[in-house]
Amino acid sequence: MNSLMYDTYTIFWRELKRYKKSRSGVLIRLIQPAIWIIVIGNTFSGTQPLIQSVGFEGQYIEFMAPGVIILTAIFTSIFGGVNTLWDRRYGFMNKALTSPISRSAIALGKMSAISLIAALQASLILGIALAIGVSFPNPIMIAPIMAIVILFSLGFSGISVMIAATAKSQETFWGVINFLGMPLFMLSPALFPLELLPDWLASVAKLNPVTYTVLLVREMMTGVSEGGVSALLSIVVISVFVLVMVGLASYVFTREVNKPF
Amino acid sequence: MYSIETKSLSKSFGDVKAVDDISFYVESGEIFGFLGPNGAGKSTTMMILTTLLKPTSGHALVSGFDVRRNPKQVREKIGYVQQETTVDEYLTGRENLLLQARLNHIPKDQIDSRIDEVLELIELSDKQNEPVVTYSGGMRKRLDIAGGLLHRPKVLFLDEPTVGLDIQTRRKIWEYIKKIHEEFEMTIFLTTHYMEEADQLCDRIGIIDGGKIQIIDSPQNMKSAMGNEVISLSIENTESEKLFLSELEKIELINKINQDQNKIILFASKGTEVIPKIFQISSDLKIKIISISLTQPTLDDVFISYTGHEIREEEGGFNRRREHAKMKRLRA
Repeated sequence: MNSLMYDTYTIFWRELKRYKKSRSGVLIRLIQPAIWIIVIGNTFSGTQPLIQSVGFEGQYIEFMAPGVIILTAIFTSIFGGVNTLWDRRYGFMNKALTSPISRSAIALGKMSAISLIAALQASLILGIALAIGVSFPNPIMIAPIMAIVILFSLGFSGISVMIAATAKSQETFWGVINFLGMPLFMLSPALFPLELLPDWLASVAKLNPVTYTVLLVREMMTGVSEGGVSALLSIVVISVFVLVMVGLASYVFTREVNKPF
Repeated sequence: MYSIETKSLSKSFGDVKAVDDISFYVESGEIFGFLGPNGAGKSTTMMILTTLLKPTSGHALVSGFDVRRNPKQVREKIGYVQQETTVDEYLTGRENLLLQARLNHIPKDQIDSRIDEVLELIELSDKQNEPVVTYSGGMRKRLDIAGGLLHRPKVLFLDEPTVGLDIQTRRKIWEYIKKIHEEFEMTIFLTTHYMEEADQLCDRIGIIDGGKIQIIDSPQNMKSAMGNEVISLSIENTESEKLFLSELEKIELINKINQDQNKIILFASKGTEVIPKIFQISSDLKIKIISISLTQPTLDDVFISYTGHEIREEEGGFNRRREHAKMKRLRA
């Protein structure tokens, strides 16, 4: 157990080192969510009456800002596993596989690094949101919000690592990721409240872990609870999602890297 | 106990036999080399010994542990330096070694001193805090090799350690490998398709071609078994070529005859006495000799005599691209 933690940290350390050295990438990845929050947030400002009808008092941009924070977390973490493919192509994976560290530690180290990076990116978006006037009733909530974002991203990094370990090419990886990422984001109350969705879409959205994360983070940011989902239920759903994904990802990763690349 | 021991080791990818019934051993402290063209099965064998691939059949023991049954124990005993350089470009030299040290569970209080030691050995101490992006190809390779021996493995695997490097750098790497071997007294198993490399470094060589070991011996023995001298001659195309060859075979001083198109290679014990006899036969048969030369045998000649062809890239029954395509199909 001790050695699993040590090995996980070794990989975690390496991934973060690599992230730190690629500073240009940090900014590039912020452009898209910044555009979302500025352009979509202002374009749809006329929809305020719609969101007021479900009990939300503020501006539309305050309603959707938590959604964009989650968007950042989704995409940063689901893209994050791609370097698994590089590692297999350029030999780092073989180096790690012939050392005494366990295979799951490689997967866990990658996942934890990705989720921390995702949370860092998301916190930058939170900063942008605050800068353009999204208000925050209680600054004490920033730490728990970040904790939820880290937890949630861990689940998505699991999906990413799993796909990267199974995919043998970049093309396959990006294909699957794009197929998954956008629909999961759209099928959630990130941009519009669940109450406004047709029943069948709302039911589908309720199967999506993104839905619970958005609702929880929005409640923490604005103080308004919606959709009849309690914070406790959201935390339970997110935790189960994360546990399943982390377990599944370490299993799939271990199985796949033992096959020749 | 041998450092490496294999019994009837085989690895197939679909219907391609990459490694075909290989049995050999490597003595503790020895530098042992696999010499063969690309696609001969060298890297596949190494990947089995380093626990990256499971053999299709047969056994392999590394440092006393079965690669199939006790891969974890094997991994604790080995260092593996891959063909392509695998250092992280954006990390500094020292950070790369730190990563390697942690991967191999070097005790925390020894990490710094071990890194200093290998940096000194490969003469990279003054560049250690610069990112690897700024290193030359040879420096990266040295760093990679340093990473492989940081934890003082019992067996160090070097897969084509100097491929793609210029000749000066190659010589330099050879010096480092010799130095490492003296300093740490570890067993080194390397693969190469450079004759000179095998000749310079190895105590014993296994010539491998088409997934099979053709012969294992010391480079010295291999060369002297060829006879003391090598006579190469080329003749004009003629129908009496077969007759010519059979006449040559009757010369007692000739140990072995190899033919590759118009080129005939003779391994003889007293070359200077053989040459007049060759001219005698050729004038009897009215065969025109275009050129003739007398040289000392090299490993090249040894290789040709066992495989019937020179070391060439992208030939032989098995090459990397086909191997890759095969693996791809297998997975689909």
